[in-house]
Amino acid sequence: MSEIKFILDGREVTAAPGQTILQAAGVHGVRIPALCYNEKISRTTSCFVCVVKDVKTGRFLPSCSSCPSPGQEIDASGPEVRDMRKTALELLLSEHAGDCEAPCTLACPAHAPVEEYVRAGRNGDFLECLKILKERIPLPMSIGRVCPRFCEKDCRRNVSGEAVAINDFKRLAADLHYDEYLEDLPELSGRKVAIVGAGPAGLATAYFLRRSGIASVVYEQMPRPGGMLRYGIPEYRLPKAVLDRELAHFSRLGGITFGCGRKLGENLSLDELKNNFDAVAVTIGCWKPAAMRCEGEELAVQGIDFLQQTALAGWSGENPGKVIVVGGGNTAMDCLRTSIRLGSRDVNCFYRRTETEMPAEAIEIEEAKAEGVKFSFLTAPLKLRRENGKLILTCQRMELGEPDASGRRRPVPVPGSEYEVEADMVIAAIGQNTAAPGGIRINRWGGIDVSEETYHLEGKVFAAGDCVTGAATVVEGLAGGRKIALGIVEFLSGGQIKAQPEFTFNVSRGHWRSLAKDDLVYLKEDVSDEPRVKLAYIPLQERRTTFKEVCATTPRAEMMAEGQRCIECSCTAKGDCKLKEFSEDYLAVPDAIRGEKLRNGYDNRHPVIIQDRMKCIKCGICVKICQEVVNQNLLSLKKRGFSTKVETAFGKVLPLSCKDCGACVRECPVGALDWKIKE
Amino acid sequence: MGQNYDYLKAIAPESSNLIKGLQAVQTREGYVSDASIVAVADYFHTPVVETEGVLSFYAQFKSTRPGRYQICVCDGTACHIKGSPLISEWISTELGITAGETDADGLFSLETVACLGCCSLAPVFSINGKVFGNLDRKTTIRILKEYRNK
Amino acid sequence: MTISDKIRKIKIGMASCGIAAGADGVLAVLKEHADKIPIDQVGCFGHCYCEPVVEIETVDGGSVLYSRVKPAPESIANILALGKAGRFQINPVRQAKELLKVTRLAGVIDPTSYEEYVENGGYAALAKALAMTPAEVVDEVKKSGLRGRGGGGFPTGMKWGFMAAKTAEQKILICNADEGDPGAFMDRSLMESVPHQVLEGMLIAAYATGSTRIFIYCRAEYPLAIKHLYIAIGQIKQHKLNLIAGREIDIVVKEGAGAFVCGEETALIHSLEGKRGTPRFRPPFPTDSGWQGCPTMINNVETFGNIPYLIAEGAASYAAVGTATSKGTKLFALAGDLAHPGLVEVPMGITLREIVFDIGGADPAATKAVQTGGPSGGCIPVEKFDTPVDYDSLKALGAIMGSGGMIVIGKNRCMVETARYFLDFTHRESCGKCTFCRVGTKRMFETLERITAGAGVPEDLDFLAGMGPKVIKASLCGLGQTAPNPVLATLRYYRHEYENHVNNRQCDVLACDKLVDIKLDPAKCVKCRLCIKNCPVDAVSEDFIIDNNKCTRCNTCIEVCPKDAICRVKKGEGFYRE
Repeated sequence: MSEIKFILDGREVTAAPGQTILQAAGVHGVRIPALCYNEKISRTTSCFVCVVKDVKTGRFLPSCSSCPSPGQEIDASGPEVRDMRKTALELLLSEHAGDCEAPCTLACPAHAPVEEYVRAGRNGDFLECLKILKERIPLPMSIGRVCPRFCEKDCRRNVSGEAVAINDFKRLAADLHYDEYLEDLPELSGRKVAIVGAGPAGLATAYFLRRSGIASVVYEQMPRPGGMLRYGIPEYRLPKAVLDRELAHFSRLGGITFGCGRKLGENLSLDELKNNFDAVAVTIGCWKPAAMRCEGEELAVQGIDFLQQTALAGWSGENPGKVIVVGGGNTAMDCLRTSIRLGSRDVNCFYRRTETEMPAEAIEIEEAKAEGVKFSFLTAPLKLRRENGKLILTCQRMELGEPDASGRRRPVPVPGSEYEVEADMVIAAIGQNTAAPGGIRINRWGGIDVSEETYHLEGKVFAAGDCVTGAATVVEGLAGGRKIALGIVEFLSGGQIKAQPEFTFNVSRGHWRSLAKDDLVYLKEDVSDEPRVKLAYIPLQERRTTFKEVCATTPRAEMMAEGQRCIECSCTAKGDCKLKEFSEDYLAVPDAIRGEKLRNGYDNRHPVIIQDRMKCIKCGICVKICQEVVNQNLLSLKKRGFSTKVETAFGKVLPLSCKDCGACVRECPVGALDWKIKE
Repeated sequence: MGQNYDYLKAIAPESSNLIKGLQAVQTREGYVSDASIVAVADYFHTPVVETEGVLSFYAQFKSTRPGRYQICVCDGTACHIKGSPLISEWISTELGITAGETDADGLFSLETVACLGCCSLAPVFSINGKVFGNLDRKTTIRILKEYRNK
Repeated sequence: MTISDKIRKIKIGMASCGIAAGADGVLAVLKEHADKIPIDQVGCFGHCYCEPVVEIETVDGGSVLYSRVKPAPESIANILALGKAGRFQINPVRQAKELLKVTRLAGVIDPTSYEEYVENGGYAALAKALAMTPAEVVDEVKKSGLRGRGGGGFPTGMKWGFMAAKTAEQKILICNADEGDPGAFMDRSLMESVPHQVLEGMLIAAYATGSTRIFIYCRAEYPLAIKHLYIAIGQIKQHKLNLIAGREIDIVVKEGAGAFVCGEETALIHSLEGKRGTPRFRPPFPTDSGWQGCPTMINNVETFGNIPYLIAEGAASYAAVGTATSKGTKLFALAGDLAHPGLVEVPMGITLREIVFDIGGADPAATKAVQTGGPSGGCIPVEKFDTPVDYDSLKALGAIMGSGGMIVIGKNRCMVETARYFLDFTHRESCGKCTFCRVGTKRMFETLERITAGAGVPEDLDFLAGMGPKVIKASLCGLGQTAPNPVLATLRYYRHEYENHVNNRQCDVLACDKLVDIKLDPAKCVKCRLCIKNCPVDAVSEDFIIDNNKCTRCNTCIEVCPKDAICRVKKGEGFYRE
């Protein structure tokens, strides 16, 4: 038989006899997506992602099964065809339940691969754990102590009990191996970048630039580098010896130098930097305290000033007497607990909403309470005055009204509820703003006016960290630093500076609050049901009187056991899922079509294979592979319609011998049948 | 061949007769147990898992023992618009079971079926294959009572 | 009991519809009291609304019909005395509109009697065909213009021609008797009433196409049809009618196992092979590779039922009936909201008005629409009832001819709920293979569920209108390709009903349970307490107030109320106890 001529996307092409449109298109460089097509087996014609349009008849054909006829005009890439494919993918996504990426990793601002480093830790390989971490977290020792643990808040283990103690893996891994691990570093390219501000964002920028072979000089207004890590976060949370150990590593990397005592706009000018360096990163943080907006507020001490003074004094100072801290954030907690340690036994927190609305971390509030801090909620300052050497704060009672823009209920004053309290020191810890020197553009929220996607300011200048986002966390600073480091690398190589969004396509089983215990899928059978590992606090008396670190690093054996609690939510197929790949290509949205997802369950009884039926797209490739290629007939489609599922005879576990075959696992286009080992 | 399945020998042991074999079991036993699946699969030289796949595809097959009287409420189009959902509800109220269930005494089981082909007498149901037509609440309950007292 | 001496023979309709109406009871009483008179158990003559029917043949060759006969001695006595009570005359209008060709013998002869069929001209067509060459028979069918009666409307002669052209050791002929449309019973009626006629059609087809083996794939829900087929096949074998061109043709009845999708030919073949009834992509077409790889041809029961008279009367005579593109007569199963449900046979081209109103006796003032083609079809509003019934006209209206189910929908029916009902059926019957059918119909059904429950949003209508055509375009078989039709047709003609559900949370006709309350009108109530006694959830209080919080809308109280004091009202108009 001779070749068949037909028209593909307006071009005359040929197909060999018996060749399908899909195969012929592949030969001619037209890539048609297909999920259920597999050349090893008889055709399944199930997914309909491969549809093409017969232009003359207007019919849509599954190209995996249709052979072209002479003269047939096939549209394989037009908008109508693409729309059909997108709908097919969205329909499949609407019945597909799983987590492409684990919620912890998604929640982490730096997207550190949590599952992977927890797994390494569980296996006792904390050096590997550290190596994985440092791809995203250049300051694991600090982060391991001060991170508010976004990851743990979204951990699926919250459904039944407590989250895995994820952050403690960082702390232990860094404590154990930080000094011995030196990254594989490329040669320095000769390019040099100026970084202004040696806080988390600046340090991360320097670190990731160095990992790309770019040297930097990090300027810092304070005597020593570290930013808020050194001058904001108290010693009892992050011992400065630890910070010094962490920063020492930056010197070992080679190519990163620090220039302390240099302040932008005073003894350092942006123009000078622009002239002398290939690029400039502005990471100056947020050091301007926000106003309390009450009469006499100049009589109050600013929270960050209070902390900075104590830091400069080597975490010592006079007993401040009776202290009132106004505010409910982490800085307020730091001031309160520092006051206790300086000897005060009358330390009070005034906050205008209730404990539920407090922005401070729950653990911080809890620890502050344990150390003796007294809280007055629904209390707002009205006026501050000094009388007979004492400060008199006039306060007002509040009540909660309607929710405001932030979703928190707005505090409303109760008329006639004013009262006065006496204090020796009033500390204002309301928040901080960016204090950008002249010449740097500021947006209407007070941050540096960078492009939202790339953090590029203009020309060769980038900015990241608190000075862009407003006061945030250390890990957010690190993420911002990494972002501009990658942007600068791109900029220096002459490429276009573009956003590098991650996890833009992600299927999720939903937030753990919407799930029940039975909805969780355990990759392994031996997930631990033990409670979360407890932090080892130093005695309370020591906490109240010294600046010693409040709790010790959790030991190795306990962390290895803690790792057994991780259920490994992320998809085994996240690297090679065709449904994901095509959905990304066709901009299919996971929740575009909503409806029931079958609770068909999963089977992790086999030692090396997991079958997760909730991910199955019912293409039946596995059934046919086992039947036609392996000649084993271990699987069949059961039931019909929307309830169709793939199962073994009577739902028995797959035989052990399957571990030597795995043909079905290899051919599954999604992660419905997969090895338990994640790549 | 197990002791109970000699009657299958009346059917040629070709895989194309698999459904016929399953039907023979169900006619005899009222349902198809797991043991029967294994026996039928063996007799017709079909893998057990495939036999299960076939069985679960077709609505006719039951995997649990039905009651002595099997009520099939027709939910064909004609019956539906003539009120078959109400018939089902009245039966449920009377017997305390819903579609797919068998009562505690094992006397009645209830299911809804696509169409019994007696649309001109809608709404209809059948009990053990005998069709009753032109139902209203009174006749429905009368028929159930008659069967209960049999 | 006095028995009139004018009675020659008694006929009683014993098809499923007759039995369901109580014909077996009537037969028992008849046998007891008229043991000297021959009693013929015949099939269905189409007038199902008057079952059980007894026909008395008188010695002078006349016939007296009795309808709705009760199994009581006094009513049998009346019949045996040829009394006036209960006599029934076929509506002359219906008689004039109908054209009985395929159903000529239905309800006339005893389906289990080979002799009666032969006496009435049976198997003459087979003899005539065997005297022709196979090619001549195929040609005759081609010339007749007969199109497949199963729903698709593919020209039968052309299919026979494809099949005849194949040379193979084994060639398979399949009779599709898996009448799956809920609301259709033409095939059941034919198999129960004139099984020999259907089999004769198959034998002629086997001869014309050179087929070597016949399968009849019949729904298990039709036990009587299966029984009659077995009896007739036995008789055929006894009379060696299956010896065709020197070859013995095996005829096997296989029972379906409850899967609507098996009406699709490739799915049916899989099912006959003992597999899951999933369709496959065509080509190859069954005539190239079907049952176990053999050339296979599938025709529907009614198609085969047409063959004997087509051959007997000749193609020209056959084609004289009908329209340009649709020839012959068509059977319709009339049911729903009408006075005279039953089976009718009419010439193609007759209008819906004639079928529904003149023959079916539906009240024009109370009729909203008719649904043709069951769950694969669409509704046709009463305004379009002048449309002639043929394959192409119905398709143009968004409906289909289908196999011939015709459900009359009264004004008191909710069209959204009707669409929901059909999608409920089709999404459960989907085999689960194609994405658009498996998930698309499910999502459409869920959307309709939401709308009928008063939880719909305007975007839901866009979703239905957008997804429907995609499911049609990207499904492998007829099930998916037609499943959205009921939704799209109702959206087209009754969008205002959808909008009322979505925008106002109201059901126009108070049919959707979640959008209605139940209310008792004290002015009409006579305090008989029947509602209180019968309410399964104790929603009616001692002071005759219905608590809609408790009420499940089961309608029991409305049914039992002797004074029509209880009715369905708009949601919110009923009483709710805190």
